[in-house]
Amino acid sequence: MKRHITIAAVYFVLVLIGIPWYWDKDTTLLIAGLPAWFVVAIVVSICTSIFTACILLRYPWNTDTGSDED
Amino acid sequence: MKTSQVFDQSAWIFISIYLGSLILVGFLGYRARQENTLKDFYLAGSGFGLVVIFLTLYATQYSGNTLFGYSGKAYRMGYAWIMCIHFMTAIAACFLIYAPRLYARAKKYNYITPTDYLEHRFNSNWINILATLILIIVLSNYLLAQLMAMGRAMQGLSSADPDMAYRQGVILLTLIMVVYGTLGGIRAVAWTDVIQGLVLMVGFSILVYMLYKHFGPLSLATNIIQQSPDAAKIAVPDANRLREWLSYIIIIGLGSTLYPQVIQRIYAARSEKVLRQGLALMAFAPLFTSLIAVMTGIYAIAYIPGLEGAESDQVLGIILSLVQQNSILGYWLVVILYAAILAAMMSTADSALLSISSMLSKDIYGRFVDSKASEAKLTFLGKLFSWCLILFLVWLAIYLSDKASLIKLLDRKFDILIQLVPVFMLSIHWRGMQAMPAFAGIVIGLIVSLGLAYGGFDFVQNGKVYGFHPGLIGLLFNLALAAGGSCWMNKTQG
Repeated sequence: MKRHITIAAVYFVLVLIGIPWYWDKDTTLLIAGLPAWFVVAIVVSICTSIFTACILLRYPWNTDTGSDED
Repeated sequence: MKTSQVFDQSAWIFISIYLGSLILVGFLGYRARQENTLKDFYLAGSGFGLVVIFLTLYATQYSGNTLFGYSGKAYRMGYAWIMCIHFMTAIAACFLIYAPRLYARAKKYNYITPTDYLEHRFNSNWINILATLILIIVLSNYLLAQLMAMGRAMQGLSSADPDMAYRQGVILLTLIMVVYGTLGGIRAVAWTDVIQGLVLMVGFSILVYMLYKHFGPLSLATNIIQQSPDAAKIAVPDANRLREWLSYIIIIGLGSTLYPQVIQRIYAARSEKVLRQGLALMAFAPLFTSLIAVMTGIYAIAYIPGLEGAESDQVLGIILSLVQQNSILGYWLVVILYAAILAAMMSTADSALLSISSMLSKDIYGRFVDSKASEAKLTFLGKLFSWCLILFLVWLAIYLSDKASLIKLLDRKFDILIQLVPVFMLSIHWRGMQAMPAFAGIVIGLIVSLGLAYGGFDFVQNGKVYGFHPGLIGLLFNLALAAGGSCWMNKTQG
């Protein structure tokens, strides 16, 4: 359960950083010639992909449906 | 603005060989069948390995909408459409919510369709009928969008009259698709997905190369846009757009995992390890697919400004026609890319069609018309339903040819589909969820969603409530009723 909460919290933080709500409306900051908020959104997406892949590859699924159902 | 590619005979031979190879794969799928059963036809018996699972998920997920719709949307909205890589990445993350348990149950109880889980979990005809109808309606909408995209692709390919090219594209490509799908079932669809997925990945790589070679770096396009009347498309999105961003992440992240063809691919994985690895690879797919579609739209803002409405969905075709004129290499790269575009549409459409046919034959006919029908009969009927449905949708695609933007079709179906979140995602974790409140929740969710979407309310702008999809508002009512009603029933029943 603790692991699930940690995973959900990490996704929440990634969404929080990825959506550019905290940037000044008139910002003209560029990174490599592209709007900084746009670059940050891409970097967050890369981080999310890596995080999701790590969870999927690291933790095997419990495929035993057990007696807790039906 | 010139959009047609005017391919010569050798290019048409290449594309014909590619399309012909799909029929051949369909025939090989037919030869490989082990028995005339629903499980063999719709889930390929013992299931698929990693390469097939990944490429069939990839080719099914990325469609005509990704190529034409997303580049067009980026053109209209600007840099803010980068939100699409977020919501496409969210899909892989949302699988974590329920795929592990669903996979385990599917293997244990031999599920074929998504409704098999609901039948097993709730044993309620009301939920079965409603869920099946929602899935079929949503998927038919999705399929229709793909058929329309096929027609538009052919318009871009042919120098013939655009209306004629559209009709020919819809009819010819659909015919090829339905032939190989009927011959080989999921095997043919998944094996052609392997070809189509590979072509698609090569095509996107080529597109990046061509965009860079022809137009220069994206920073140059940004600089041009900054000096143009479209400079606002670079700015940080306003509050309404930011809410829309969050709304897309939730609705598409959750909704896309509920597509029946995707659920059936969960069922069709050979092992949980294969499925986990396939989904892990899918987590990176937006970076080499959706991101490139956004880049295409941004290049188009800089270099082909002034397009509006449905014409803006053609920016990819226009960009390619510019690249094609550059060199022989550019010409052949465009030919390969067009094969990839056709691949994207056909691979998505064939999977949707196969899923609909399985639900019509097993969930509707097999459950409510003739419960004693043999597996062979249900498989045959599934094929027959495919042909009948596709005939109707081809007619509709031609009738609606210039009446709806692709992205509008995309928006409404998720408002409906997401109402199934409680019965799939909540019920698989919570034994206490009851059938009646779950059913009532879906009904209320649909009424609220569609009422908001089509009610003509002042506070609903561009089909969204303060930036949020009406489906999400409906889902709140849906969840409250399903969870609250179940708690109340559990309490009163002791």
